[in-house]
Amino acid sequence: MKRRAFMLSTGIAAAGLALLPQIASAEEGRIDWYTGSDQNVMDFWTNIIQPQFEAANPGITLNLVDAGDNAGIIAIAERATAALASGADPQSDYFENHDPRLPAGAIENGLYVNIKEAGLSNYDKINPLAIDTDYSVPYRGSQVLLAYDTTKLDPADAPKTFADLVAWIKANPGEFIYNRPDKGGSGGNFVRRAIYEVNGNDPAAFTVDNFTDESSETMLEPAWALLQDLAPSLFDGGSYTSGNTQSIQLLSQSAVTMIPAWSDQALQAISTGVLPETTGLVQLSDLGLPGGFSRSVILANGTNRDAALKLADFILTEDIQSAVLTELGGFPGVSWDYVSPELREKFADVIPASIPVFPGGDWEVAINDGWYRNVAPNVDRSQ
Amino acid sequence: MPASDIVGRARGRVPTGLLLVAPPVALVCWMIIWPIFSAIARTLWLPDPEGGRQLSVATYTFFFTDSYSLNNLAITLWTTGVCAAFLLPICLSIALYLRFADGKLAAYVQGLAIFPMFVPSIILSYALIRVLGPNGTVDLLLNSVGLPKINTPYLTPWGPVIGLVWDNIPITVLILLSGLGAVSDQSIEAARDVGANRRSVFWHIILPRITNSILVAISFTVLGIFSAFTLPYVLGPAAPEMMGPFMQRTFRDLNDPTTAITQAVITFCFCIAFGIFYVRSVAKNRKA
Amino acid sequence: MDRPRTDWTGIAFATALTLLIVFPLLVVATWAFTNVWRYPSVIPQEFGLRYWHAVLGRADVWTSITTSLTLATVVTLISAAICLPAAYAFARLEFPGRNILFFSFLAGHAFPKFGLLVAIAGIFLNLGLIGTFWGVVLIQLVGTLLFMIWIPVAAFQSVDRRMEESARDVGASPLRVFWSITLPQAGPTIAAALLLSFVGTFYETEGAWLIGAPQVRTLPVLMISFINNQPVIQFGAVLSVLLWVPSFIALLFARRVIGSGSFARGFGG
Repeated sequence: MKRRAFMLSTGIAAAGLALLPQIASAEEGRIDWYTGSDQNVMDFWTNIIQPQFEAANPGITLNLVDAGDNAGIIAIAERATAALASGADPQSDYFENHDPRLPAGAIENGLYVNIKEAGLSNYDKINPLAIDTDYSVPYRGSQVLLAYDTTKLDPADAPKTFADLVAWIKANPGEFIYNRPDKGGSGGNFVRRAIYEVNGNDPAAFTVDNFTDESSETMLEPAWALLQDLAPSLFDGGSYTSGNTQSIQLLSQSAVTMIPAWSDQALQAISTGVLPETTGLVQLSDLGLPGGFSRSVILANGTNRDAALKLADFILTEDIQSAVLTELGGFPGVSWDYVSPELREKFADVIPASIPVFPGGDWEVAINDGWYRNVAPNVDRSQ
Repeated sequence: MPASDIVGRARGRVPTGLLLVAPPVALVCWMIIWPIFSAIARTLWLPDPEGGRQLSVATYTFFFTDSYSLNNLAITLWTTGVCAAFLLPICLSIALYLRFADGKLAAYVQGLAIFPMFVPSIILSYALIRVLGPNGTVDLLLNSVGLPKINTPYLTPWGPVIGLVWDNIPITVLILLSGLGAVSDQSIEAARDVGANRRSVFWHIILPRITNSILVAISFTVLGIFSAFTLPYVLGPAAPEMMGPFMQRTFRDLNDPTTAITQAVITFCFCIAFGIFYVRSVAKNRKA
Repeated sequence: MDRPRTDWTGIAFATALTLLIVFPLLVVATWAFTNVWRYPSVIPQEFGLRYWHAVLGRADVWTSITTSLTLATVVTLISAAICLPAAYAFARLEFPGRNILFFSFLAGHAFPKFGLLVAIAGIFLNLGLIGTFWGVVLIQLVGTLLFMIWIPVAAFQSVDRRMEESARDVGASPLRVFWSITLPQAGPTIAAALLLSFVGTFYETEGAWLIGAPQVRTLPVLMISFINNQPVIQFGAVLSVLLWVPSFIALLFARRVIGSGSFARGFGG
């Protein structure tokens, strides 16, 4: 019966067949917390927030789960939507960073807690510019800047304004690349900076409520023209990487000279040796590349909803918000008035108080789809 | 039971067959077919201004009149065709070699041909960027001997083609190899004895017997490539997109499940065309 | 069967495949042992085991490897148990609705997963299967059905019917015929299908995540979170190398299994 030995061969790995099926459900007092952010954020929660929060709230523990990426979070959110419809236990309470508009219709269905009306004692401290919807708690921000290879570009010649940047890209064809705007904020905010540029560099011109089909057309069309004009001078005659990390890799392989990058990601890449020490960072001085806030969301049907609200209130306290500055290298979600004066003083130069933040909502969809339809395809690939 | 099985061949087997296929069919109906039907219903039964729903093919009309969507469909078909055109000859020759060779070298070749199965797409895409990407390993080697760099396929339509061919070699080889197992040595020797050369043995003895396996192999490859996500997403150009990333983007980023499902249904129809070929040949074989 | 001359074809294939398959993997494997590797150096500037320490030092890596292996084994076995009889029926028996039922397995693969998975999660929520081992088994089982039915059907069809019939003529029971004639001939193909299911299950991420989180964590789920969160390739490379070595050895031995059916028949087996 040698020929049937294949049955055995599939059992090579049957080693650990001791299975104990367990009925799992969310534990009372244990917040199921998910993140799709980078490892440094996970470390920040594990080392700073978890011990402090658990010490301050006996009987509540945190179960920190790494969802990998935003798609991982959305999957759990979809699962929770299904749980909401049937009254089942979603086994999830808190998303570290998530857009409450996802999955489609989530807010209307009542999937997330309305934070504004939830009575958080620290809600009023939140920087008004950071608020996107009433259903999320902005608690940390970061900015996009330009990362470049100082061996190829003298820091003295690094572009200082968007016009300089455009001129530099055109003068050095093939040396700049940004990622697709929906696949990561570094490319996304570069595209948004271009949109500001053609609309008089006025961040106030865009609010989450002033989106209409007409306004988007008149305000976005010129930006598509600008970006199309740039395309032939980009890497490989108009290629776009599929994420923040791929751009960093191209820079680290010296395939390009300059990319837009998240400040924290670029700093981390330099400290771990992914990017060489000769990497320079520069922010535009006429109007910075926009940044973004990470906003926590709480599930309305989670078993530990009330504990999760306590957690949301806790991360807005001065201690944690100061730690966001000192330990995480981000900028606070609360207004600068609610950060200790020494820190405010110390970081005044490093982190400008006025990083423009582009509104999300309908603008986001319009920008992403508009870019794909107008900028991405109009490249002559026949060489 | 055995007695009736032999005697009442024609009639007695009707329930047996159904009984045997019942467990997997039930699973598929419960977890796949039912959700798919409700999803398709939603793309045809659209909300109307009065708040109700009405039958409409608007989302399908949009797809087939929107040049951006059509370009995406075209690039998917192009990629699938090119991949299949590369895969079939490569894998058929590997499988033929493995069928008639033995020994350590054959074991090594077979091991290598099946090995890509153990490489998850995300690792493969990183590997290909490192090897064929700008300033990747190939460039490094060329550069060190003073040759010009290659024209990198990364972020062009050829990037996903290379990745998908690489990724699909094992399954194609396995299916073809198992098909070749059905070609008996006696029949080949008999043909040789009457003076047939290699080529006519292949055309007249081997090929007719493995048509079925070739169809299965093509069906699986097409299915795999149509629904591929990671490789076209990481290695391919931003536009045109293949259907996998396009659907994902419509669903997740544009928040538009109805359009995404419409795209899915259209993709599904193309896949089913290949399935029909296969089922036909299965039915034909049975009659023969 | 004697082949005294040099196997030039074999050498050509071995060389070509080594270049095309092994080379990219070798690059990844090198990355696993690299701390710093930047253009234009042909070899890495700094070798090191930094990422091996980082990966192997984590308890969740080891538990997830066990979880993944157990899952893949259980799913493959259950799948074989329910699918092989069904494949036999599809290949040999007549029953109403056969073609349409056969088609139904295509649906799960041709239709994109994201919508389906959410619908399935909804069903599982009510059954209390979310976050459980058996919930993940069930979702991955559905993913293997197509392989485990379509491929063996082709195998059962190509089995020589005359041999079966002559065995029956000499009085063998149908079960005995199946066990001694049909199964050995279909063996290599079934082995291929089992291998595909095992590996497919092992590397499946979306279903495992959506149904398994937060309790069940498979290796690829962990790997994705490593890879996505870091601009470094090393974490994924280390985990891959960890899994490649045993897989490749297993594959060299699998030659006996996958190749044996045809080989044995050459000798009249």
